Amino acid sequence: THLNVADNSGARELMCIRVIGASNRRYAHIGDVIVAVIKEAVPNTPLERSEVIRAVIVRTCKELKRDNGMIIRYDDNAAVVIDQEGNPKGTRIFGAIARELRQLNFTKIVSLAPE
Amino acid sequence: MVLKTELCRFSGAKIYPGKGIRFVRGDSQVFLFANSKCKRYFHNRLKPSKLTWTAMYRKQHKKDIAAEAVKKRRRTTKKPYSRSIVGATLEVIQKKRTEKPEVRDAAREAALREIKERIKKTKDEKKAKKAELMSKQQKTQSKGNMPKGAAPKGPKLGGGGGKR
Repeated sequence: THLNVADNSGARELMCIRVIGASNRRYAHIGDVIVAVIKEAVPNTPLERSEVIRAVIVRTCKELKRDNGMIIRYDDNAAVVIDQEGNPKGTRIFGAIARELRQLNFTKIVSLAPE
Repeated sequence: MVLKTELCRFSGAKIYPGKGIRFVRGDSQVFLFANSKCKRYFHNRLKPSKLTWTAMYRKQHKKDIAAEAVKKRRRTTKKPYSRSIVGATLEVIQKKRTEKPEVRDAAREAALREIKERIKKTKDEKKAKKAELMSKQQKTQSKGNMPKGAAPKGPKLGGGGGKR
């Protein structure tokens, strides 16, 4: 799928190649790391088009279910570019981010997020 | 109730915990819907103010609000409460309240007269001081300063007369 990028790392749009975690995994949800290729990038940034990178999904149009029954649905699909350890490559994050990311040790992303 | 019930953005209904759908729009605005009916209408861009069963419609067409407004107004009429304040004890307040208007007028006039006499006194003192200053200047400087000295006295006198 094509995903928007929710940070200022330089990429604009990513295309998901693979979901990391299991060999036969079909879908990725919020908080999953994916391998993606950059389809569109902002010029003059370290990231270039058709570069293969990892990203973590932060927003999906598919609903996210919480234990207390709350269902959250976003308006777009978005991801944040990360490196091998899980630290975001960009310095700012745009848009709302789900709280699930905090439990998955993406604390840096959560702390940068506006909401 | 342990948990808070939230209000549906579309219909105004209460959303109990475990129910409802939350939608986060592209501009990070959060919408809460009580059920998929509200959600569906929202996405189909229907206006809640046009649907009879929503709270917005009822508010706009003023249903069930008249009773509430009347109730609120009744509570606000208060009686003058007799209580002693720091500046004046209860007896003083009561005495003042029961004073007749003529007594009050007389007291007011007396107070005004006092103030006027006070002002007159300060004005006379100032005049006297100015006269001294002028006489001193006369001795040291030429006669040209005399008219200057007289001029500031003029408007002051006019001001004193006007106040009375």
